[in-house]
This record gives sequence, C-alpha cells and structure tokens, in this order.
Amino acid sequence: MTPRPQALIAEVTHRCPLHCVYCSNPLAMQPRGDEIPGEAWARIFREAAELGVLHVHLTGGEPCARQDLGELVAAGRAANLYTNLITSGIGLSEQRLDALIDAGLDHLQLSFQDSEEEPANEFAGTRAHARKLALAEVVRGRRVAFTLNAVVHRQNIARLESIIAMAERLGVDRLEIANVQYYGWALENRERLMPTRRQMADSVALVEAHRQRLKGRMRIDFVPPDYYARYPKACMGGWGRALMVIDPAGRVLPCHAAGVIPDLTFENAQARPLRWIWEESAAFQRFRGEDWMPEPCRGCDRRHEDFGGCRCQAFLVAGNASATDPVCSLAPDRKLVDAVIEQINSAGAHEPGWVYRIDPV
Amino acid sequence: MTPDSVPRLARGCRLSEDPSQGWVLLIPEGILRLSGPGPRILQRCDGSRTLGDIVRELGEEFAAGDPARVEADTAAFLERLCERRIIVLE
Repeated sequence: MTPRPQALIAEVTHRCPLHCVYCSNPLAMQPRGDEIPGEAWARIFREAAELGVLHVHLTGGEPCARQDLGELVAAGRAANLYTNLITSGIGLSEQRLDALIDAGLDHLQLSFQDSEEEPANEFAGTRAHARKLALAEVVRGRRVAFTLNAVVHRQNIARLESIIAMAERLGVDRLEIANVQYYGWALENRERLMPTRRQMADSVALVEAHRQRLKGRMRIDFVPPDYYARYPKACMGGWGRALMVIDPAGRVLPCHAAGVIPDLTFENAQARPLRWIWEESAAFQRFRGEDWMPEPCRGCDRRHEDFGGCRCQAFLVAGNASATDPVCSLAPDRKLVDAVIEQINSAGAHEPGWVYRIDPV
Repeated sequence: MTPDSVPRLARGCRLSEDPSQGWVLLIPEGILRLSGPGPRILQRCDGSRTLGDIVRELGEEFAAGDPARVEADTAAFLERLCERRIIVLE
C-alpha cells in the first residue's frame, strides 16, 4: 500500500530579495510568469489534505514576494492544514504579519544568516540583517509559533554561541541550527562553506550543553552536515513516503533537489490529480520502497531507518542516482566524500569568491 | 508541576480531530497522534484550569480510579510536553 504523505512543501515562488550563497533552490528556477495562481494552490491544498497531509510549509524563494500570500495562508487553514511560513522576513511588515496571523498562520520560521550584521549581509548578498531583527521583535509578541532558523557553515559556526544567545534574546520558541547541505547554490560554494572536523565536534558539544540548559524554554533542533555523518539521513523521510514538494509552476517533486536527476519527469498538479501523482506517477515510484536498492543497502538493517539516504546526493557526488548515498560509511563511493573532507581539513584550504544566488527572470 | 500549575498549549500548537486520522496534536515541524485520555487532557489545557481542576474534571467524567494516580499520570504526561515546549505553565 502506498504510504500517506504528512507534509506538503509549497514553493510558491522562486523570486527572492536575498541572494544567499547556500540557497537550496535549484540552479534552474521557475520564472514569475510560470507561477500558478492562488486558486490552483487552494485546490492543491484540499487535495493534499484528502491524501492525509497535515502540514503545509509555505516557502520559496521568498513567499512574501507573492501579493496573495494571505489568501494562500487562509487556503491552507481552510483545508485544515497546519500552516507554516518559511521566510526571510523581507517584505513582511507588521500589518502584513497581523493579516497572516488573522488568516490562520500557525507557525513562522524566520531565517538568520549570522548573529553579526556584516557577515550576515555578506552571506545574504543584501542588507537584510537589521530588518530581520526588527521583525523578530514584533513576532515575539504575537500568537504564532516562532522558530528562528540559523544556517551554519565554516564561515560563521565559530559564532554559534552568539547565535544561540540571539535566539534567546529574541524570545523564540524554537531554534533550528541547520548546517548547510550541498545541493543547489550551496554546492557551488562548498569549498568555502564546509566546516572543519574540529568545528563539527565543537559545535555538537556546544549545542548539547545549551539544549540541556534551555530545556522547556527554547527547543533547539540541530541538523548536522551529511558529509560528516557515518550513515545517511532519512532524506525526505524516504522517497515518496512522507513528503512532497510542489514548485512555483505546479510541478510535484519527491524532493527539493530532485530536478537534478536527469531521467525523471515531474507531473504538474494543475494537469493531474495529486493523488494519482503521489500514488502512481513514475517519479514518485522510481525510488519508493526497496526494489531500487543496490548492495550494500539491500541487505542492510538500516534501510528501514534511512531508506537508502539521499538520491540527489548520490547523483551529485557519485553521478548515479541509484547508488548508495556516498556519505554512508558503507558506500562504495564514500571515498569521494572523504576526498572533499580531506581537502577542507588540510592546511590552507582554498577560499574562493562567493557564487551568489540569482533571481529567476 | 503542582496541582496549582495552570498548563496551556504553547502558541502554534493545536489539537485537531480528523475523521480519518483521529486526534492529532499539530506542532511546529511535527505531529503527535493522541490516544487514551490525551485529547481530553489537552482540551482542558486552555490557561484557565489548574492541574487540580483538570484531574477533578477527568475524574467526574470517567470515574477514573484512584485520584492520586490520575494526577500523577496527568502531570507526567504534561511534563513531557513541557520539556518539548508544547505545553507552557502560566
């Protein structure tokens, strides 16, 4: 039987006023002219709820770039979905925030690039940090769950303690410390972003100490970087198993990054029923379950936990989407990941210039 | 947590009853499927009732055995949710 999806990640636009050097959007973005209208999203949300989806994550690009964001939030709630907004905060005035909360917004996740203004603006490619701080002061007094999302990497992980202090000061309910993962624009900047082994060990210990200290006051979730892991993550909770991503043009993907896999065709939710796409379409069937797995995954007990890891990473690192995730210590291609790590940890690691995310046309 | 504590669901955490999925607690980045007395406890965590009130109401509704046991079980359930910042105390 086909599993029921739990969450829908709705990339409602790829437009964004920020140019973050680790943006997880694909290099090939959907232009504004191809964005599907609000009515189409409302219908998709209803179809998703009927399929069993409970959460909708409104993301982008910057979702606030859409003038009809309030209607999208209302449509999510009308479909009885838990509605989360993932935002840079740029384009979100106090009045607009209140309108979104009135429309039923449950959770707001505000991204920060650093605790210090100058590097934060450097990583974002624009002067956004002070505006985020001002918005956070407003959000803290509102009846909406408030998460601060901080993306960490080699250039800012030394300030992890001051990032945690910033989250405390801003009174957030939850802090998500997400190490950069190497897809999309982040892969372009991997040499300059990847933390060292020493930084990793220090940050894990630091987070654990603060997690204990803040228990019951602020929840801390920590996303470690795949490359330093011993076993792969359960990417997307398993291919076609728990999550789906719909891009601004209505294409339904099993993962944000799945567009990089060359031989997959993604159906459009405007042309086909969402249930059919989830249950029957070739892209969702391709790596669902275990039939596709090579050795050593096929005979590995961990396959029920990690579902074979990440297919996009297998393609990006090993050139084969059906390979065992190369971050796995048991993978035949682990040496490719080790070579990257060795280079980063060697004395005088190269610091190339940034490749900034560009906006879709 | 004491009998005078006033628990309520944290902002952005809400109960939902779905015809096909039963009672679920929707929280940031997750869901908790509820069974047994869970939904009835959480429905009363509205910031107006003390733990003592909640335990008394559960007892009245279900004649639920030893009151000390009901209070201990309810407090343990809510304390676990407090640690995850799903329940906050007024």
